[in-house]
Amino acid sequence: MLTLLEQLDKGSLWQSPGGIHPPELKELSNTQAISRLPLAKHFIVPVPQVGEQARLLIDVGQTVLKGQLLTEGNGFLYLPVHAPTSGKVTDIKPVASNHASGLAVLSIIIEADGLDTWCQLNASDPNTLSHSELIFKIKQAGISGMGGATFPTHIKLNTASEIGLVIINGVECEPYITADDRLMREHSHEILKGIEIIHRLLSPQRIIIAIEDNKPEAAKAMQQAISLSNLPANSTRVTVIPTKYPSGGEKQLIQIITGKEVPSGCLPSQLGIVVQNVGTAYAIQDAIYFGKPLIERVVTFTGKNIHQPGNYWLPIGTPITAALERVGFQPSTTQKLIIGGPMMGYAINDTYVPVLKGTNCVLAPSDDEISPDMDEKACIRCGECALACPALLLPQQLFWHAKAEEYDKAASFNLQDCIECGCCSYVCPSDIPLVEYYRIAKSALRIAAEEKVLAEQAKLRFEARLQRLEDEKIAREAKAKAAAEKRQANMKSSDKDAVAAAMARIAAKKAAQSHEVNQPVNTQSDKAVTETTDKKTAVSAAIARAKAKKAAQTAQSHSSAENNPSQAESTALNEQDNITTEVMSQKDRIAAAVARAKAKKAAQNNQANPSVLAVNNVSEMTTSDDVKNDKKAKVAAAIAKAKAKKLHQTGSTDNATEIEPTETHSVIITATNNTVITEKPVTGSKIDATDLDKKARVALAIAKAKAKKSQQKDDKIIGYEDQHPLASRSEVHHNEPISTDIDTESVADVVLNDPEKDKKARIAAAVAKAKAKQLQQTETKNLELALSNAASQADNFDSATLDKKAKIAAAVAKAKAKKLALQADKKD
Amino acid sequence: MAFKIASSPHVGNTLQTAKVMQRVALCLLPGIAAQLYFFGFGTLFQIAIAVITAYAAEAVILAMRNRPIKSTLADNSALVTALLLAIAIPPLAPWWIIVIGTLFSIIIVKHLYGGLGNNLFNPAMAGYVLLLISFPVQMTDWVSPMSAAQQSVTLSYAWQVVFDSASDILLAGHNLAIDGTTMATPLDTLKTDLSMGITTHESLAKPIFSGMAGLGWFEVNFAFLIGGLIMLKLKVIRWQISVGILSALFLCSSFGFLLNPDTHVSPIMHLFSGGTMLAAFFIATDPVTAATSARGRIIFGAMIGVLIYVIRTFGGYPDAVAFAVLLANMCAPFIDHYVRPRAYGHRSGS
Repeated sequence: MLTLLEQLDKGSLWQSPGGIHPPELKELSNTQAISRLPLAKHFIVPVPQVGEQARLLIDVGQTVLKGQLLTEGNGFLYLPVHAPTSGKVTDIKPVASNHASGLAVLSIIIEADGLDTWCQLNASDPNTLSHSELIFKIKQAGISGMGGATFPTHIKLNTASEIGLVIINGVECEPYITADDRLMREHSHEILKGIEIIHRLLSPQRIIIAIEDNKPEAAKAMQQAISLSNLPANSTRVTVIPTKYPSGGEKQLIQIITGKEVPSGCLPSQLGIVVQNVGTAYAIQDAIYFGKPLIERVVTFTGKNIHQPGNYWLPIGTPITAALERVGFQPSTTQKLIIGGPMMGYAINDTYVPVLKGTNCVLAPSDDEISPDMDEKACIRCGECALACPALLLPQQLFWHAKAEEYDKAASFNLQDCIECGCCSYVCPSDIPLVEYYRIAKSALRIAAEEKVLAEQAKLRFEARLQRLEDEKIAREAKAKAAAEKRQANMKSSDKDAVAAAMARIAAKKAAQSHEVNQPVNTQSDKAVTETTDKKTAVSAAIARAKAKKAAQTAQSHSSAENNPSQAESTALNEQDNITTEVMSQKDRIAAAVARAKAKKAAQNNQANPSVLAVNNVSEMTTSDDVKNDKKAKVAAAIAKAKAKKLHQTGSTDNATEIEPTETHSVIITATNNTVITEKPVTGSKIDATDLDKKARVALAIAKAKAKKSQQKDDKIIGYEDQHPLASRSEVHHNEPISTDIDTESVADVVLNDPEKDKKARIAAAVAKAKAKQLQQTETKNLELALSNAASQADNFDSATLDKKAKIAAAVAKAKAKKLALQADKKD
Repeated sequence: MAFKIASSPHVGNTLQTAKVMQRVALCLLPGIAAQLYFFGFGTLFQIAIAVITAYAAEAVILAMRNRPIKSTLADNSALVTALLLAIAIPPLAPWWIIVIGTLFSIIIVKHLYGGLGNNLFNPAMAGYVLLLISFPVQMTDWVSPMSAAQQSVTLSYAWQVVFDSASDILLAGHNLAIDGTTMATPLDTLKTDLSMGITTHESLAKPIFSGMAGLGWFEVNFAFLIGGLIMLKLKVIRWQISVGILSALFLCSSFGFLLNPDTHVSPIMHLFSGGTMLAAFFIATDPVTAATSARGRIIFGAMIGVLIYVIRTFGGYPDAVAFAVLLANMCAPFIDHYVRPRAYGHRSGS
């Protein structure tokens, strides 16, 4: 078994299936050397990429030189466009293109000055250039595949795959066309120079120059050129292949030379093969050695209605009309004018279209050279098309489905593998324009695929939205459920607890009172130090807990009308438990009470400014407590209350701007924002209170933190109450046990009268302030998290300073807010 | 000036449907000539009646279907159908036999299914089967080969039998006037003999089996083979179906013959008797009703070959070409669905 390389060296050939042998008629145009025609007066240079991947470098009225760059861009498929001759840009407008569709394409119209003056050319020696420089030069020369597909050459030469074989395509299997034939005969050395550059870029093991056996002169010329070239010995050879259409097709040629098939939907580079046209090799040579951009090519003018058939160097952009005039075109009445060969070329309606980089032939056949227009007849399923198909398709089945517009079924017969070579149409005894059917089916499939992609995107968007809504709903429900469960659990706490709690509270209050009397000032300042586990502390803890429970209970009983218990509520209870386990000094407790009162008041104020009655009631209720409280506590409470009020005021004004929060989240966010905003005024008020004594300040700081927290909650509540005003909500707050509640006026007096100044207290104040700030910050970041975190944080940091009760109250308020939120959700 | 626009390719070969059909008809000529020589001029009248009936029927049905009449008649497909049916039926069958057969073929089998290219069954064979089932007596009375009867069927005699004596045949069944000139076909004789317990060896000793596969029959089949080879050469047909039929028939009959020569006839007898060659080259190769892919066609042909052998050997009818072809026609879409060539670039593993 020979290896592929050995087979290649031997010149072994494989059979390509199908194919046809149409009359070649090459002798019409291949007898004379390539010549030049007089320069056209106008040139049409299409710049289809302008607007998408490129922009123009010139403007109307500007003078250009031959070879001058006209566009600039950087897209993947972008190819520079150059002026084919020197002259003046007279217009830039859409002009009918040299394309089967004849659709207009933006084109630069250049009026030639007849001088054909070159711009500055950068000739170079390829041996001094690096790979990337070579690729860049090839790209800058605007070189694309000259075989007709006009794929940018620099991409093909810059492939990531390892290339083992380069096939230089000199097959030219289409009838009539002899442009490559003449080019190989006359410029074999230049082509070989181009091949040398390709060899440098891809370093393949072998280079095969494939030529059909109907071009013996070309094969001979190329063989001679190889022997004179600088290519490594035995790396390059000419392989003559039997004449058969469409052997020149890339896939077919690969099959004939190597026996391999390019997998469907893949590029030859996947097999390590690159196919380049001989004309492309010539253009590469021109670009590197002379710096000439691709601005002219060999075009075959042939057909019996052309008097001087032959091959001509034509600048890209030359109007076909102008060229036809110069070769003696005499149209018949039913003239067809074909760009390309008779098998795959397209008929054009208007000849005022430019020569393009892929225009290899202009065919003007007489009526007897081409088939007359025949009516399509019934398919007799003769199967000749299948025998002729080089892609081994079943053209008749494709036709059947394409005609019935069953494009999906046509696709299942591998319609996409059709290369539109026209063999099936050629052999069809019923004159069915099979290729036309396939083109229609292909474009229909393409459109369908595009629509499908768009529909898929729309569907994904829609589904994502549904999913998001669903997720939100599920999250809400889960939250509600969890809260309900927790609440259920809490409900177990019996009425006894409540009674006990009340009792404990009363006892605690008494104890606190007596304790405070004993240690009026110092204990408060000593808060951090004196973490004594004395009985009183225990009592106070119990009280606090009881209070918390009661508060929770109250909240629950109030909320029992609504079946939505809140998670936060239970969290608050848990917090309380935690708190109670901590050792609390009396002072702490007092401060806590003060702060809580503050918070409550703040809440009260927030909710029920108009409900003066309720406030009064509360204050009346608490007056007895007031008496028991020492002055300090009162002072602190008053300060805090004042603060809270101020804070509340600021908050409420802010709230006013957002009267109707419509969504839970937005409300929460609003609440957070409000808190943030209110922070500054609070600080301001703190500064104002410099004349207050330290203790008071400490209390103030504590209260402020508390107040903030409560403020937050209150804001939330306000938000909800705007929507669902519930009287019971404010009741909840009022009914909560409030140990210290003093009228603002009296508090102010007390404050002024208080002379005590203590360093420790100051420290505590600073600490508290820091706490408050920290708390504030956290809250702004994440409201939900912050609520619990801040509370616990504060506890850890300075348990003495922070008021547990206030915290509890805050928690209660929070719970309330949550409940409200849930309720709001439900109502939504 | 504006030029004419057309989709590529702009050239095509000149072998069009009408020409294909014309060539098929021309390639039938050697076989027709042999048939005329050995079985008299009756076939000539049958052909004339069939062709006239076919064109007339096609013109009428095209008019009813609002289809172009002239261009469709010019495709010569009706001509081929008429020729095949006329060759297949007994040369001296009464005129109305061929008329009924042709009308059925053209109108019902071909045009009611959508005309050329859309018919599921081979029109000639469907018509033949209709006649065989409906008029078994007329369809099995075959003319004796010339040399056996020692009496030639002249033009005038054939005319008389085909047109004038129709009623006599109908009434008498076996009219004396033609009694001496008709007889069962060799395959029919063989089947009858085998059913009577006579071995093939004894049966083949009968004068009707003189020659390689029955007097006259071998020559006619050989002439059709020649015509078929010419068609292959002209690429009017492709080899797959014909080779499929003949090789399958040959293999099956060889196997049977080797197994039990007393009840099975030789492969030569199978290949060169009855309508084997006509079917292999002219009937089964009708592309409309055959499978389309190369492999599918081999399967299609082999199927016909096996069916011919099975029906001839085990079935109730002496010849089986028509049945075999119709049965295979039914399977053609099925074969096409499952037997698809591997397209370029779809090689497994590559």
